[in-house]
Amino acid sequence: MNMELSRRAFLRTSGAGLAGTTLGAMGFGEAEAATAAYIKPFHLANTTETRNTCTYCSVACGIIIYSKGDLKKGEKAEIVHIEGDADHPTNRGTLCPKGAALRDIVHSAQRLQYPMLRKAGSDSFERISWDVALDKIARAMKDDRDANFIAKNADGTTVNRWLSTGFLAASATTNETAFATYKVVRSTGMLAFDNQARV
Amino acid sequence: MPSHPRAFSLPEADPTAIGNVSTPPFAVLPDPSHLFATRAARLRAYAGVSPAADYLNFVAGLVEAQHAILPGLPEPERPDFETLERAAAYGMPPLDRARFTLDAAAETTLDRLFDAAAAVAMPEPAARALERVRAGTDRAAMVADVLSSSLPMESLAEHVFIAAGLQVHFARLAAGLDPRALVPVGDGLCPCCGGPPVASLIVEWPNAHGSRFCACGLCATLWHYVRIRCTSCGSTKGIGYQEVEGGPGTVKAETCDECRTYVKVMYQNKDTGIEPLADDVGSLGLDMMMQNGPYKRAAFNPFLIGY
Repeated sequence: MNMELSRRAFLRTSGAGLAGTTLGAMGFGEAEAATAAYIKPFHLANTTETRNTCTYCSVACGIIIYSKGDLKKGEKAEIVHIEGDADHPTNRGTLCPKGAALRDIVHSAQRLQYPMLRKAGSDSFERISWDVALDKIARAMKDDRDANFIAKNADGTTVNRWLSTGFLAASATTNETAFATYKVVRSTGMLAFDNQARV
Repeated sequence: MPSHPRAFSLPEADPTAIGNVSTPPFAVLPDPSHLFATRAARLRAYAGVSPAADYLNFVAGLVEAQHAILPGLPEPERPDFETLERAAAYGMPPLDRARFTLDAAAETTLDRLFDAAAAVAMPEPAARALERVRAGTDRAAMVADVLSSSLPMESLAEHVFIAAGLQVHFARLAAGLDPRALVPVGDGLCPCCGGPPVASLIVEWPNAHGSRFCACGLCATLWHYVRIRCTSCGSTKGIGYQEVEGGPGTVKAETCDECRTYVKVMYQNKDTGIEPLADDVGSLGLDMMMQNGPYKRAAFNPFLIGY
């Protein structure tokens, strides 16, 4: 017998097909019927509450995202509200002003959704692919490192520093992502670096 | 004041302590002196706007009777120190339903409630059931059935009156416990009496902002429970919410795809008037709509058996 039947069986029936409700047994069948008639024009709406992590800073506050529509049931979901997660040990339901305005950044028309490039001499941004963007970034980093890498200091001691570029990584990441980012960035000699691994 | 050669005082202006740390209590015990009065008022408010007004007024009348009999009830027999220690040590509820026996206080509570309930207007089937429970046969067996949350259909109405009497008795028993000595006894189980919840509440209290508490359907204890987690099986996977489209969104069915059940969650932070048992009965329409879906109701409310 499953848990539901063993612990949640509230109505024992002895006669075959005999079933009912408190309202029926008490003689309130009319109230029951009136309620059934009343709800006919109404529909149920699927909503969800989802735990997530605020994307803003390395404090990584817990948030609850409320949405209308349930993706699990093949519906389109729209975020209607975001609040602090009261069960999260870091922020216990609180959010800073930026975090409290998270819903607005989700729906913001100005939100950056893909890589944009403003070419030298141009007065506007244009959309580029991730491949192009990553190639450009890699190229710029390589050129800068080749030009400014400090292998030894004035005393001739090996220091392997790259001081002319900094790196800021995302906050809402796993330990593993933070570890990998740290290893990659530090191995280039970069010192100006921050990500979730700091906290 | 401690005297120290270098003792000096500074104005207490620690900039890091600008608010209190929100630490929700594990359990909040019921206060019978206003529990039933608040519940009845809420039921009356629902009756004013509901198509099931007759039933809501009847339940409100019964709950008012629960409140009215409180003065002068004999003190219930509370668990002794040894029982409390043993329960806490083994993660068991201090009010043991399986070993409950009808003491003088419980008998008096039931007798007085049945007498007071006789003044409530009710249809013929309910009145006949009340007469049968007042006659007092099979009382111990019916009490055992109610405490095991398993009610036989043939005498459902009688059991509802017994349950109403036990609500008074168990709320008074729970009110006498030490909330700091309570321990979690299992997912979706009341830490006082081990029973299933009637619903859960999202609260807005000075030390619990947006936290969730389950409400016991028998003793009315509130216990802290992590949000977005099934209140009957404890799963955090496949939790969804269903509400009446276009409604205020203050009462939703929290559904679980693991155990295929639902229990209502009520947003007291949006509507401060919410009383879990009253709002459960008041939102009967939601249960009727949920009957067409795959989820079964897992809450315990003697006034809504069968949904």
